Amino acid sequence: MRQHGTAIAGRRCKARLALGAAFLLALLGAAPVRATSPDAITMDVGDEPGRISTEEVRIEEGPYARQLVFFRSSDAPGTVVISTADRFLYVVLGGGRALRYGIGVGREGFQWSGLVKISRKAEWPDWTPPPEMIERQPYLPRFMAGGPGNPMGARAMYLGSTVYRIHGTNQPETIGQAVSSGCFRLANGDVIDLYARVDVGAKVIIRQAAQL
Amino acid sequence: MTHFCSRAAAGLAALGATFFAFAAYGGTLDSIKQRGALICGVNEGLGGFSVRDAAGAWSGFDVDFCHALAAAVLDDPQKVQFVALTNAERFDALREGKMDVLSRNSTWTLEREAGQGILFAGVAYHDGQGFMVLRHPKIDSALELDGVSVCVQDGTTTRPNLADFFKANSMTYKEVLVAGPDEAIARLEGGACDAYTTDESALYVVRLGLKKPAEAIILPDVISKEPLGPAVRADDVAWFNVVRWTLYALIDAEELGVGQATLDEAQKSQRPDVRRLIGAEGDLGQALGLTNDWALRALRAVGNYGEMFERNLGAHSRYGVPRGLNQLWADGGILYAPPLR
Repeated sequence: MRQHGTAIAGRRCKARLALGAAFLLALLGAAPVRATSPDAITMDVGDEPGRISTEEVRIEEGPYARQLVFFRSSDAPGTVVISTADRFLYVVLGGGRALRYGIGVGREGFQWSGLVKISRKAEWPDWTPPPEMIERQPYLPRFMAGGPGNPMGARAMYLGSTVYRIHGTNQPETIGQAVSSGCFRLANGDVIDLYARVDVGAKVIIRQAAQL
Repeated sequence: MTHFCSRAAAGLAALGATFFAFAAYGGTLDSIKQRGALICGVNEGLGGFSVRDAAGAWSGFDVDFCHALAAAVLDDPQKVQFVALTNAERFDALREGKMDVLSRNSTWTLEREAGQGILFAGVAYHDGQGFMVLRHPKIDSALELDGVSVCVQDGTTTRPNLADFFKANSMTYKEVLVAGPDEAIARLEGGACDAYTTDESALYVVRLGLKKPAEAIILPDVISKEPLGPAVRADDVAWFNVVRWTLYALIDAEELGVGQATLDEAQKSQRPDVRRLIGAEGDLGQALGLTNDWALRALRAVGNYGEMFERNLGAHSRYGVPRGLNQLWADGGILYAPPLR
């Protein structure tokens, strides 16, 4: 977490709600999350509607910073590959390389694997938390208009006809973690970058860890 | 008469072969068991691969592989004696029997193997020469390096590799010779060179020496093949197989989803390939002269390949080395291990 804490540019630490201890520690940059296997821990952090995270917030340092990596793939450039076990999202560029982003993977993000296509894209999407989520976190609003305080973040890419989506977040410290809710979340600055590179109709391949 | 003679000769030869096979089988593996410790040759100090702390404890990727071997053979990952070796002495020391295995970022080449009495057991880390550049001006590919000045160390293969790469891609560069990584850092920060080239594994360590590591990026292009792996003496095929298949077991385990984090779950698995790996089915361990839970012990000690990589070099280390070539073959890399069956 130490590295992670310094990695977020322009973060505004405005906790407006009563939060779990894990989250408070994360704000202080002291949560011992990095040292352990990501599979062992789910970051127990509730959604925080109203907490501001702007378009400029990107992961700038460490493994979860956006970076060009070697990536052998037979898929067409523009294909998105999500590896939930590693918390990485790749955009295939061809020529054996890809652009890699760090992601946070929510409960919903671990439930499905396979191939889908981007069916819709939206800027500053509205948010209607599903009933299961309201049940877990009764303090959530029933509807929230898009904006910098919205947990859906700056951009969303909807995956096929599923309820799954790639979206931004107003909690950039959750990047690299397994989190309690959401699908595939990127820091707002990074999801804006991704949004510009991925078209409606692009293939998205979601890979989960092998089943035992 | 001729018949008898040739039969007798054949019989003798067969006897000799049997004896030789037994001698080889009883070699390294038995001495490790008798000694109660594995002797492992490592680098004196290389970030992420082999590091000794103030208390004398070793850690790193190459070090962990020896812990895995000790766990597989002796059922105790701590029963390892580490021997620190320089570049120059490592292969002679291995041939002279000063260690059981050399796990020391050594590149597997024909010259080092054929006729040298040494065998490489596999590739533990696909390294290669790469480039580190400052974030500005923005360069995304090594093919965009035309006209830049490049810091390179003299007296290494990196210098001719650099020349070949630029020539092959019709680019020019200004060469700035440096004595080592420290000078390269100073030159980069001072603006005397735009890029520094050496093996990728070293670049991630060097980057941490910069005042602002985030200002530098390491390009994904790898311009040479430097497959690093553990080496053993060529006269003991039985031991060679133990080393080779322990490495493969760690890689196959990652592919199967078996690791430190999932070991309990794996022991309940009904999947045949998982059961073979952990020794619940078949006699793979016995075939190697070990017990059938050899791979399970190794995995309990260090985790699977991916866990070992991320802890020492990757996302959970200071270095943040991307898996790159060392990602599994099915996930965008070239890491491939034959099946355990």
